[in-house]
Amino acid sequence: MAHTAHHHFPAPKMRLEDTRLITGSGKYAADWDLIGQLHGYFLRADRAHAEIVAIDAGAALKHPGVVGIFTGEDAVRAGYVNAPHALNFPGKNGMKTRAPKRPALAHGRIRFVGEAVALVVAESVHAAQDAAELIEVQYRDLPAVVSPEAALAPGAPQLHDDVPGNMPLETEVGNAAAVEQAIAGAAHVTRLKMEVTRVAPSPMEPRACTVVHDANADSYTLHVCSQGYTTLRAQLSAYTGVPRDKLNFEVRDVGGGFGQRTLAYPEYCALMIAARATARPVRWVSTRSEGFMTDSHGRANIISGELALDKAGKILAMRLDWVNDMGSYLGPGAMGHIRNTSSCMTGVYRIPALYANYRVALTNTTPVAAYRGAGRPDISYVVERLVSQVAAELKVDAAELRRRNFIPTDAFPYTTATGSVYENADLPGLLDQALKLADWKGFAARRKKSEQAGKLRGIGISTVIENTGAGNAPKDDIQIDLDARGEVTVHTVSKAQGHSHETTFAAIVAAALQIPIERVHVRQCMPDMQHVLTGNHTGGSRSTVGAGSVCHLAALKVIEQGKPLAALELGVEPSQVEYAKGAFRTRESRRAVKLADLAKGKTFTVAAEGKFGSTQPNGCHIVEVEVDPDTGATDIVSYCAVDDCGVVINHAVVAGQLHGGVVQGVGQVLGEQVVYDRASGQMLTASFMDYCMPRAGIVRGIRGEEHPTPSKVSPLGVKGMGESGCTASLPAATNAVIDALRPLGIDRLDMPLTPATVWHAIQSAKEKAQ
Amino acid sequence: MYQFNYVKAKSLKEAGRLLASHGEAKLVAGGMTLIPTLKQRLARPSHLVDITQLAELQGIKLKAGRLEIGAATRHHQVAASAVVRKAIPALAQLASVIGDPQVRNRGTLGGSVANNDPAADYPAAVLGLGATIVTTQREIAADDFFQGMFATALKDGEIVVRVVFPVAKRAAYAKFAHPASGYAMTGVFVAQTGDGVRVAVTGAAPGVFRWKQAEAALARNPKAAALEGVALDASGFNSDIHADAAYRANLVRVMAKRAVAKLGRR
Repeated sequence: MAHTAHHHFPAPKMRLEDTRLITGSGKYAADWDLIGQLHGYFLRADRAHAEIVAIDAGAALKHPGVVGIFTGEDAVRAGYVNAPHALNFPGKNGMKTRAPKRPALAHGRIRFVGEAVALVVAESVHAAQDAAELIEVQYRDLPAVVSPEAALAPGAPQLHDDVPGNMPLETEVGNAAAVEQAIAGAAHVTRLKMEVTRVAPSPMEPRACTVVHDANADSYTLHVCSQGYTTLRAQLSAYTGVPRDKLNFEVRDVGGGFGQRTLAYPEYCALMIAARATARPVRWVSTRSEGFMTDSHGRANIISGELALDKAGKILAMRLDWVNDMGSYLGPGAMGHIRNTSSCMTGVYRIPALYANYRVALTNTTPVAAYRGAGRPDISYVVERLVSQVAAELKVDAAELRRRNFIPTDAFPYTTATGSVYENADLPGLLDQALKLADWKGFAARRKKSEQAGKLRGIGISTVIENTGAGNAPKDDIQIDLDARGEVTVHTVSKAQGHSHETTFAAIVAAALQIPIERVHVRQCMPDMQHVLTGNHTGGSRSTVGAGSVCHLAALKVIEQGKPLAALELGVEPSQVEYAKGAFRTRESRRAVKLADLAKGKTFTVAAEGKFGSTQPNGCHIVEVEVDPDTGATDIVSYCAVDDCGVVINHAVVAGQLHGGVVQGVGQVLGEQVVYDRASGQMLTASFMDYCMPRAGIVRGIRGEEHPTPSKVSPLGVKGMGESGCTASLPAATNAVIDALRPLGIDRLDMPLTPATVWHAIQSAKEKAQ
Repeated sequence: MYQFNYVKAKSLKEAGRLLASHGEAKLVAGGMTLIPTLKQRLARPSHLVDITQLAELQGIKLKAGRLEIGAATRHHQVAASAVVRKAIPALAQLASVIGDPQVRNRGTLGGSVANNDPAADYPAAVLGLGATIVTTQREIAADDFFQGMFATALKDGEIVVRVVFPVAKRAAYAKFAHPASGYAMTGVFVAQTGDGVRVAVTGAAPGVFRWKQAEAALARNPKAAALEGVALDASGFNSDIHADAAYRANLVRVMAKRAVAKLGRR
């Protein structure tokens, strides 16, 4: 731990952002209220697949208060058709990604329920909505396909003329021949087909955007919810052709993102067209129902897995066949479903041979993008379910089989069979700590007790690792401004959506400068910095490793650059100046130059940059459940999590991130799922009446411990951790439910494990047993 | 939402007059169903007549072995009422598991009963206890009041004033909440009265109903075991993405047993 000995991160009782947020002083995207603003309302497709034969907006245009109506014709005329995507992988056999065009408003054809067909702009939102109801759209219905496997089958309805077979990309990783050979010679092969269901991330803040066009500068300002302007700006520029330096953003508080708020949505582009055409600000606030239908969905992967072992229970090889449902269009956010699932494919195990094939499918559904973990929970789910399954088949303790196959501690840095490099971890130590915390050995007795109460008890474990961090930006910039009052302002590109940047980054700077945390003010994505600073948006668990590390470097630079100035003031050589607790001094003199003194004439500004690679947080989660055989309902009765996030800046913030991730994962396992009607393509879960959003009480009393192995990637020793809760909980919770049911002969059951699904499985098992 | 006129009625009489003179007027009390419906533009009333604060619709009273609850009484008031908890604790317990805290502090007994959502909790208690619905025009027995999905015996312009519950010897409600909405996937209210046992089921079928075979079985033997093998016609039961009819039929039996077991514990 020598690495961190000199850091004492201050941890205020409340987060520095809390007072603002809990007293209603936060400013969210819908809180912007601009003089002269118009209101937009999107007319959306009421069916899944159809040609647009004609749009008659004549009556709507005459409706009182209507200022303009925009359709796909306007989007095509503006050239707003090149929806960006990021599937920049070499395809199988030289195949190149076939990316369909996506006009900002549907043109000629609609491909999912909710796709925007027209934008009505009026003096009030009600006038716009009333007018939208007067628009007559003549459709010619086409058959719809909502299942990705059905979409890839011969004879399926075709979504795009330029994407034959609805398959924009097929790609592969690993060594097919080596895997084939290992499987052929293996003592035991386990096969399991799994689905990581489609979910609607549903941040608390609905999507909103107000666009202002400045005719003088021919630039746009978007007041929007975003995870960081750099990514959004690059995507919007690609979509619309508007140069990046003509795109500005107002982003203050953001009520949840989970990957969904990184994207340049077509609605934003349509609002740009309207703002320019009307020469007035145009505002749009999504309803919750619109959110379900048009905010990007997450996960949606189907995987057939094979795991081969030798006689000693050592894993020899793994082969995966993926079908990745991307919805109706390729978006810029779903590359993780391939990149992260292949880079983390080996999990925490030494697997000599790996191979995966990916077929990307387009369906008549909402486009899919990254969702907390972006493929990492998917791959950990696949690996950890296979490992628990094979342990049960071989009648080996699930923890023991894991231990037998762990990457040994002395094998780090470890290069996986798919070419990733894992820096460090202490997997056996992590496992031991978790087994102890969860009283793994005492489970049999607890199961017996549950049995006496008529309940089926199960225990599930996951040991996971994930590549986090890095990012597409060439570097992360931080600027520190020091003023004459000694107040320190830290400017970042990274944008919290509930992540506590204002507290964490302030703690890093305060620790380096040895000053009270209250004097450090973190400003994220401020408009005057947007063409000065570059860096990554907040996502992929990268902010503390990337921007956080640069905060540390920038603070050190304040001291370094301050020293010569202080030396001048003190009349000594810079080498004689020492810094401590906000002041420069010499050993001999009692005189001091305070930080504030550096800014006497004008603000003292320091810029720092850095680029930090991936870190690999890892963890072991152990879950116990009780299943009520009469109703099929699952109760999480114990949740233990031991995580290695490297050095922890603020323990409460880290625990909060983990808890949120755990609950999101458990929620998906037990109920969350977007369901479409197979015949019509209508969404059957477009409100919280039908969509099972997990409530806080779904997991009670998470017991968490830390097992840090500091990373050397960052000078702070930190690892990314914003997504690890999800990554570990999806498999651990599922394994627990399967473990509860396994005595009945049930071992093939997939999420969501709703009460009805579990009850039916129990009934079928009982019938089979008779 | 479409535009409408909002009128706060000063008396039941005035509310009745407003309903009579505006064909497209609708009553609003807690608005827990109506407001979301309006927001989605699924209803287009000309007027909303607010009756929430009418004095005639308030109050919880125990009178001659009958518990009278005003139609505008909120779920939380019923759940927290010492009078209800003493007289019919199962009714207070039922009110305490309706929706969520926001719903319980807005939604009203009269609104729930008049709306007759097939998955609402209150209809199970009203039917299970054999309550009487007192309206501006007459008194209606629960057995005649509920007429299937969102349908009741209420005539145009007729307003629920209060519900009168006979105090049962013992009663219990067991609910399996819908994991998304919090409504009853299935809820069973069992009441033992001087006349026998009543079993009312909500959530499972298009409307609340009495499970008469279970009532007969429990009259002979008021134990959960008595429900084993008792006939249950599930042919018209609800089937949706969350639960099919077979699962709901299972829940009816399981929840009925649990309600009976709770009876035994008092």
